[in-house]
Amino acid sequence: MAKLPDRLDIDKSDRKLYDHDIITNEILAGRTRKEQFLFAMAVGFKNEVKRPLDSREGFFLAKDMRSEDEALIDSVALHDMGSAEVLSDRKAVFRIAEEYAHAGIKVLYDEATSVQPGSFLKKLELELFSLLDSLNLE
Amino acid sequence: MRIEKIFLRNYRQFRQAEITFRRRHDTDLHFVIGSNGTGKTNLLNAINWCLYGDEPHLSKDSQQLPLLNLKTVDRMDVGKENEVAVEVWTETEHGEYITFKRRAVFRKHNDRKITHEGTKFEVTFNDERGNTKIATDEDAITWVERFVPKGIREFFFFDGERLDNYFKEATGQNIRHAVFQISQIDLLENCVERKLQDTLDDLRKEAGKTSPKIEGARTELEQAKNKLNEIEKRINECETQIGVAKNKVAEFGDKLRGVPDIESLEEERRKIETSLKETKELLGAKEEEKKSLLHESGSILMLWPAIKKATQIVEEKKRNQEIPPPVDKGFLEEVLRNKSCRVCGRSLDDSSSKQVRELIKEVETSSEIAQRLVQMEIPLYQFRERAGKYKEQMEDITRNITRYEKTLTEITQRKEQIDSQMAGYDEKLIREWYRERAKFEDLRDQNQRQLGGLLVMKQGAEGAVEKWQKELDTELKKEEKVKGLTKKIAFCERAVDVARSTREAIMKETRERVEVETKRQFFRLVWKKETFGDIRIKADYGIDLIHSMGYECLGSVSAGEREMLALSFTLALHQASGFDSPLLIDTPVARISDVNRENFAKVLCEVSTIKQTILLFTPDEYSEEISRYLGGRASGRYLLKLTSDENEAKVEVR
Repeated sequence: MAKLPDRLDIDKSDRKLYDHDIITNEILAGRTRKEQFLFAMAVGFKNEVKRPLDSREGFFLAKDMRSEDEALIDSVALHDMGSAEVLSDRKAVFRIAEEYAHAGIKVLYDEATSVQPGSFLKKLELELFSLLDSLNLE
Repeated sequence: MRIEKIFLRNYRQFRQAEITFRRRHDTDLHFVIGSNGTGKTNLLNAINWCLYGDEPHLSKDSQQLPLLNLKTVDRMDVGKENEVAVEVWTETEHGEYITFKRRAVFRKHNDRKITHEGTKFEVTFNDERGNTKIATDEDAITWVERFVPKGIREFFFFDGERLDNYFKEATGQNIRHAVFQISQIDLLENCVERKLQDTLDDLRKEAGKTSPKIEGARTELEQAKNKLNEIEKRINECETQIGVAKNKVAEFGDKLRGVPDIESLEEERRKIETSLKETKELLGAKEEEKKSLLHESGSILMLWPAIKKATQIVEEKKRNQEIPPPVDKGFLEEVLRNKSCRVCGRSLDDSSSKQVRELIKEVETSSEIAQRLVQMEIPLYQFRERAGKYKEQMEDITRNITRYEKTLTEITQRKEQIDSQMAGYDEKLIREWYRERAKFEDLRDQNQRQLGGLLVMKQGAEGAVEKWQKELDTELKKEEKVKGLTKKIAFCERAVDVARSTREAIMKETRERVEVETKRQFFRLVWKKETFGDIRIKADYGIDLIHSMGYECLGSVSAGEREMLALSFTLALHQASGFDSPLLIDTPVARISDVNRENFAKVLCEVSTIKQTILLFTPDEYSEEISRYLGGRASGRYLLKLTSDENEAKVEVR
């Protein structure tokens, strides 16, 4: 039986993006590594981009995830694979999440650095309102 | 009466100077023009020194210097004496001369020490036969009192710098004092009323010796009167304190006019800073809440298609009863362990065991998936809820943020306003002024409360005096032996009453005359005639200047208008006093704005047609407009200049 992964990884090159001032002090200020990762994954998913990791390094431990965090990455895996079978392969579930986060953090960084300081969250707020209108929440 | 000549020798800057104020026009107007330090104000001091022996307008610099001219001191031999002399030559309306002369002798001991050896004051005049006479001591002082009484000199020789403060300082107390002096009431009170009262007391004492009842009533009356006097004295003290306090309140009020209320502003600033901190904290908390909502709900919204897909899968598995898992893995493991079926009891052979093992493996996978799907169910439900509430929550937070930002802007603006209001002021000094004003407001209020009580006590004491007066009168009437004395006492009592009512009537009449005359002069002189409606000198001698709209406006008029009212009041006092003495004003237009200077010059010119007017100007004050208007009307113009060593002032006639 294959060993279950105990952590979620990022691409080594992403570390500097997660640690960039604009991310740590503005966009994702006050967020934990896990929260940063999940947000980057969501951005990647929304933009429908995922990139395989070239070189891995651990970012946070899997045991730190609560049921709702696991529900999010499991949902992404379910959406991506279209079958519940993927859930039994934790490695695959984590890999999908990592690939979206890898692409997502780049998108986030690019967007954050392309707008006036302080205006990213405003932009995000408007985008979310517009996204909300387009979603059928029922 | 007018000043014809002033002669000065060795008096401060004036080693040898003579100014003759000869009348050459309809106007008896004279100018003395001098820069600061040339001795202009000391000319005013010289007149005061000559007439009264003091120098009320002495500057701090001059206070450090001897009366004797410095150049003279320098030239004097050690051990020798020299004298300071000031003579004021006056001319009566009948063309007679009265000369006031004061001399002070000084001795030089060494280069640093000179001592005052004595002063002599004398007045030279002509008697009815035309013979020249010299009055000294008390007689000389009587002549001064006939010219300008010391008590009211400030209405004749005054400093224009202080003119617009005149009514702020001249409260009812000062004005009553002035009217009292002018009416010569003190003569009536001191000479007639007091002497009659003394006689009356003596007569009553004499009557008391004849009967113990009379003596008893007399003693009671005396005590009641003493009590009344004591109360009246305290009332006077109270009124004086109120006057002083009112002056001080007005003085600090003036200083604080236009000055921010630092104490209140600082209090407000402190509150604003607390409020600013609290609002910033609230705003920060809301912004943080907004960020959290953006992050958490943002992730949910961005992942919504995945969440939707997962929800569909969970629901489908539930519908197909795939979750929860149909076979219990524990049950199969127990069957394998016991090697017998727990349902039919049959023993498991190798093939059955193999089948059970494969079944466990299958269940293992489907169970893990089913378990994960079950675990997802509640979070997925919560995500749906949170996404549904996102809009409402975000709008609520945004509303709060907008409200705090607005409050923050308002508070910050007010803080900036306060800072700009406080900028450039000496906060310590202003706080001190506020404290001082509050202190005098307290003093005023305390005394006013005390005065109320004293006035009630006075009524009681007056009642007691009246009661014992009647008692004494009754006892006196009963006693045959004192009939003669009773008549004398009754006469004295009536005389005291007459003297008292005469005093009050004269005071009232003088006050009314001063009021009418002040009004007449003011409305004749003031250039904004439509602005003002009336002037009232009240029973307590407070002055009210009534605006044409009907409200009291003395506190809000310009320096020029206040000076005009002061001048009108002075002219009225001149009129009421009967002292036709000259008017001498130092720096007359110092407090008057350029635009009103010409008007004021016209007024002074008009005044000079009634009485001699001597004006002491600085060159700046003697501006083009003053010169243009008054220049041609002046009988004389004198220029004060200092010598190159600055120890002597010379007078040039222009």
